[in-house]
Amino acid sequence: MGIDGAQRQELRQKFVQFADTRDPALRDELIEAHLGLAEYLARRFSNRGEPLDDLVQVASVGLLKAVDRFDPERAVEFSTYATHTIVGELKRHFRDKGWAVRAPRRMQELYLRLGKIVSSLSQELGRSPTIPELATEAQVSEEEVLEALEAGRAYRFASLDAPSPGDEEGDSLASQLGDEDPQMVDAEHRAALSPLITRLPQREQRILHLRFFEGLTQSEIAARLGISQMHVSRLLARSLAQLRSAADDSDG
Amino acid sequence: MATQEEVRLVVPATPEFLRLARVTATGLASRSGFSYDEVEDLRLAIDELCFALIGSRGREGTVNLRYAMPEGALEIEGSGDFPTATATPPALSELSRQILTALVDDYDVYLADGGHPAFRLRKQRPGA
Repeated sequence: MGIDGAQRQELRQKFVQFADTRDPALRDELIEAHLGLAEYLARRFSNRGEPLDDLVQVASVGLLKAVDRFDPERAVEFSTYATHTIVGELKRHFRDKGWAVRAPRRMQELYLRLGKIVSSLSQELGRSPTIPELATEAQVSEEEVLEALEAGRAYRFASLDAPSPGDEEGDSLASQLGDEDPQMVDAEHRAALSPLITRLPQREQRILHLRFFEGLTQSEIAARLGISQMHVSRLLARSLAQLRSAADDSDG
Repeated sequence: MATQEEVRLVVPATPEFLRLARVTATGLASRSGFSYDEVEDLRLAIDELCFALIGSRGREGTVNLRYAMPEGALEIEGSGDFPTATATPPALSELSRQILTALVDDYDVYLADGGHPAFRLRKQRPGA
């Protein structure tokens, strides 16, 4: 990882200090210093059909846990300890994928179709459509609509960086959120509630902020950011899952 | 309809079964005329409260859910039946509270009869 002896010594000191003070600034610094390791390990799992971006996030959660749990008194290097924790987190991610990956092709197709229908019906009606309205438009039963939405919620069979059903012209979310909104750069409010939020990608922080702090509906967020409602739903679900996972561990 | 409609569901207290809690809720919400946006919000709210109950990895025992549908609303109560229960209400972070406030009209975490950790939520259909 390109860390030389002197740096290693310095990091070790910082871990001792952190174990003692639990200073958040120091914690950030320790995490920063090892992000390369998280990314490196994420790459090793990138041939399994999951977007690298998602894997780096999963690995970062593992890194966070490692920093919080590492005991510098133990005769083991942090990088060894962290590798173990991060790989564990990545493996858990793949294990937890569960049935979503095996969602029937028919459901996957219906989910993709519904993304477009939600967008077009919302525009047509000037409000968020009901489930029966979606079912009628898609010519399937309500149960099938609900099943497909639940399957899609797991976000796993569609990359968050790929064009989402209903997105215009296939612009990827990442490119649309490239410009920072000055209002959103002010992350103090969010950070005060939970430092974990600041670990999420910028675009997800922004969506969380709009939904939970500004009180915009998912449709309004979709319209403001020029992406589909479905994409907003999926990103919110993923962000909350990651916050829970991270919170669970930092609370002990 | 004169009688109160109610649905009960008992699932193992592990994450993979929360799917059933969500599907039941969204099925009932759809039946009550909730919109796509509201249904998606409901899903997030249920996860937030159920995970507060069982922890992110789940635990031994069951979650008992009760769904009621008063006019224009959906009310859900969930309580944990855990063999190794600590008699404390589910813990919610400040952030979780902020999230839930945005997602549902009312919610609470508490200790139910018999010392079971429990939650309840209420989501109203706008204009209903």
